[in-house]
Amino acid sequence: MPASCNQVVFFEKGLLVDSEHGNPDKGVINLTVMVEKKVKRKDRHPPVDKLLKMYREMLTIRAFEERAGELYASGAMPGLVHLYSGQEAVAVGVCAALNTDDYIASHHRGHGHCIAKGARVDLMFAELLGRLPGYCRGKGGSMHIADPLTGNLGTTGIVGGGIPIATGAALSSKLRRTTQVGVCFFGDGALNQGILFETMNLASIWKLPVILVCENNLYGEFTASDTVTAGKQYTSRGQAFSIPSKEVDGMDVLAVHQVADEAVRKARAGKGPTFFVCNTYRFKGHHAGDQKQSYKREQETEEWTRKDPIPRLSQWLLSKKLVDRSILSKIEEEVEALVQEGLEFAQNAPEPGPDELMKHVYAE
Amino acid sequence: MTEMNYAEALVDGLYISMDSDPRVSLIGRHVLGLSPLRYLMERIRDAFADRILNPPVSEAGIASLGVGAAMAGARPFVDIATASFVFEAWPQVVNEAANAHHMSGGQFTVPVVFHMLHGLRGGGSAQHSHSPQAMLWNCPGLEIVLPSSPRDVKGLIRTAVKSDNPTVFIVHSKLFTLKGDVPEGDYEIPFGQADIKREGGDVTVVATSLVVQKALEAANALSQEGIEVEVVDPRTIVPLDKEAILRSVAKTGRLVVADECNLSCGVASEIAAIVAEYAFESLKAPILRVARPDVPVSFSAPLEDYITPTPEKITAAVRKVLG
Amino acid sequence: MKGELSRDKAVSIFERMVVMRRFEEMVVRLFEEKHFFSHYHLYIGQEATGAAVIEVLGPADLTLTTHRNHGHVVGRGADLGKALAEILGRSDGFCGGRGGTLHLTDRSSGFLSTSAVVGNCVGLATGAAYALKQAGKGNVSVAFFGDAALEEGVAFESMNMAALWSLPVLYLCENNSPGAGGWGSFTSSVIAAKKLTDIPESLGILSRQVDGTDAKAVYGAVVEAVARLREGHSPVFIEAITERWPGSVPLWPELIPGATDMTMAWDETKITGEHADWIRNHDPVLRFARDLIADTVLTQAKVLAIDKRVNDRMETARTFAIASPLPKPESAIEGVFA
Repeated sequence: MPASCNQVVFFEKGLLVDSEHGNPDKGVINLTVMVEKKVKRKDRHPPVDKLLKMYREMLTIRAFEERAGELYASGAMPGLVHLYSGQEAVAVGVCAALNTDDYIASHHRGHGHCIAKGARVDLMFAELLGRLPGYCRGKGGSMHIADPLTGNLGTTGIVGGGIPIATGAALSSKLRRTTQVGVCFFGDGALNQGILFETMNLASIWKLPVILVCENNLYGEFTASDTVTAGKQYTSRGQAFSIPSKEVDGMDVLAVHQVADEAVRKARAGKGPTFFVCNTYRFKGHHAGDQKQSYKREQETEEWTRKDPIPRLSQWLLSKKLVDRSILSKIEEEVEALVQEGLEFAQNAPEPGPDELMKHVYAE
Repeated sequence: MTEMNYAEALVDGLYISMDSDPRVSLIGRHVLGLSPLRYLMERIRDAFADRILNPPVSEAGIASLGVGAAMAGARPFVDIATASFVFEAWPQVVNEAANAHHMSGGQFTVPVVFHMLHGLRGGGSAQHSHSPQAMLWNCPGLEIVLPSSPRDVKGLIRTAVKSDNPTVFIVHSKLFTLKGDVPEGDYEIPFGQADIKREGGDVTVVATSLVVQKALEAANALSQEGIEVEVVDPRTIVPLDKEAILRSVAKTGRLVVADECNLSCGVASEIAAIVAEYAFESLKAPILRVARPDVPVSFSAPLEDYITPTPEKITAAVRKVLG
Repeated sequence: MKGELSRDKAVSIFERMVVMRRFEEMVVRLFEEKHFFSHYHLYIGQEATGAAVIEVLGPADLTLTTHRNHGHVVGRGADLGKALAEILGRSDGFCGGRGGTLHLTDRSSGFLSTSAVVGNCVGLATGAAYALKQAGKGNVSVAFFGDAALEEGVAFESMNMAALWSLPVLYLCENNSPGAGGWGSFTSSVIAAKKLTDIPESLGILSRQVDGTDAKAVYGAVVEAVARLREGHSPVFIEAITERWPGSVPLWPELIPGATDMTMAWDETKITGEHADWIRNHDPVLRFARDLIADTVLTQAKVLAIDKRVNDRMETARTFAIASPLPKPESAIEGVFA
């Protein structure tokens, strides 16, 4: 078990802060209850069913991305596709701390966040292929999947574009006096977008319930982030605006989940925003067609592959004797089947007709 | 003359610009976007490393630095990359660069070039497919260049870099592989000088950027039926060679305007308005516009295809103005 | 010692400050006499900052300013008549009447285009620094901006690049609303930073805070900063803190504490009324006059003589500006392109 996980107190099921009740004080009360219910140090981790759900989601993302890469290579899908493989622990670790009605906003490398927040892979594949049953009826594609039913405000193709959107959603929660939180995921490239600073300032001044999650995968497109990002520590950008800011091992789903859970509780309790820099790595190129990746250091991918968050979790589960190998194998089979079915569904789904074009330009 | 593709000609023009004037700096490294041809830029990166800045993803910042550097004696060539990203830099382009010369009573010039890749690229969806030239045309002070051929892109980039005005250099990435004859060495194509890409006496088609090539395809097809289309490429919409357009319409009496902006308030609309205002007597039929319907760009291929100005749509419009 | 203020330079700074003050008072007078009608912003209360910075600069250094630009422009020696003419929208103004108070600028005094969009001069000055660095003559650019510029994203994007590329730019943040933040006062700076300098420091930029009403302190900090920049070091950020002049609190500027009476520098009995605290403790012109007299750099008579000379120049400038013709209406469509 990673050392950082020893510090955490997890809620038991049923005591999770329930934003549906719309009671802003509930989070605080629960917190007090849980501090008293501290479990023994060696047992501190999320319940097994939750851990398995996280495992399943990471596997689903990985399998989905494998197929998406194949689809791109086969020429079956238009446009570009930016694969999330390697970064699964961030999306899953954070989203496991959220309720369905919490908000997220994501970016061009957004499939992982959609799945972790509860999106269906069949409808996602359909969107990637531009088919009518896709999440955006084929109008958005890989880079613009949105799913309001799971609180997903959309993935944006503009670097940094989702940051103020999730923060705006957090403002809405505050104005409506619910305990919903907003999470914005963005890459290290967005660290240099002015909108991040403007948003941090507003989130801090107005104590908005938002978690800013920077996924530092070392590269903005083809550029090493340290060559374009001034200052010694990326977290100092949040600290400058008086936002609690922390670096996290983004290859460790439990570490991510722990800090996210804490930040979410704070946000629900009205204590304002948190900023995380999750150190992670994209196993693939900037987009699926970026095969050469000559800008990467030699051996770099191999080094990071050894930190792959998926086997890391399965090995931990087995070493702690929390599950049998057979349970994990069953999940793996189920995920494969789900993703395969989803892909077949999408491939057989109809394309939108020209009558779709003029729909949804304006609300009716 | 030598045959080369559009991307090579663009890089050649930029290379000569940097080689012949040490004040020229490149802010941004890609210029050719994600095109497989972007290796062509290595030549420039190797030769002028001390004048190339590899910026963070900070469109507002690089546009602003470009304007400030231009006012202080540098000649920056700022790569905005996808034209939709100019919206991130909008205050700097439309409210600083465009205004500074006039607002200061002529005390400053702003010799900056903003380079960007516009248009329907195939799966670009709504956030990567804009053609902002008409919006920019609404900002007096900006020169706007839309090169449609290898020869034009090289000659126009030379003029753009030498211009003392802020210039928006708008390129369609689907033109990159287009081959054509390009003069060797250094040459300039003056702004405000339209090019008659094909002569014909029956119908005038005014088109810009990639759509010029589509208009030529349409014209060739129609020629088989004995319909001779004159294809007029303004090459720069600011300044605009109104005379050339009006001359052609005076000859043919019929006009189709085709470009990739939205139909409403687009490039086609403005050109149609100019002709209606100044050459109404010459017109034998109403002017037709071939442009994008007023909807955000969809991802799905059949939807994107549906809104794309094509040779077929231009052909149909030509037939219609012929009655 | 480096950064110590010589007697000559001290007098020069003082005279620049008096020019700034009397110019702004003239602007108010011209407005009240209905010679112009637009909204405008005054530099009163911040003179020590601008004058001390300008004293350090050489003729080839570049300055960029904001909507609150009058002090910087006239402090750097721009022709007072042409400056007033511009504010009145006359044809003899620096911009031929096209810019007005918001865009007052004078290329020959080392200014680039004056943007009235909050934060934009930060990027423009950074770009100018790039051009100066390429030119390789050791010149620097200075961005004067208010605290609210740090609420604009372009400021960060630009400072980040200045830090990455070691550009010779001095960010001179004139914080004229310390402790503000209340709604409706039109003066509030709404920034979540505990110190404004935390923001540039997060980008690795060397940052200092100084008392913006203390000309000596500003001068010392700027001498050090500019020396670093000329040696090729990274950008520097200076926050000069000033107490808001009461006349800038209303929506439109008013000479609330009255026109400046230089004798208040030594005659305490004249300082009375609601704004006595600002006059006594925060007026940089009176403060510097007091200091210079105490240091025997100036006498009371010398102070009054400088003031008279400046006031005389102001009257001449006023006459010039009012006599200057309005631009021809049809010239509105000229000069869009170079």
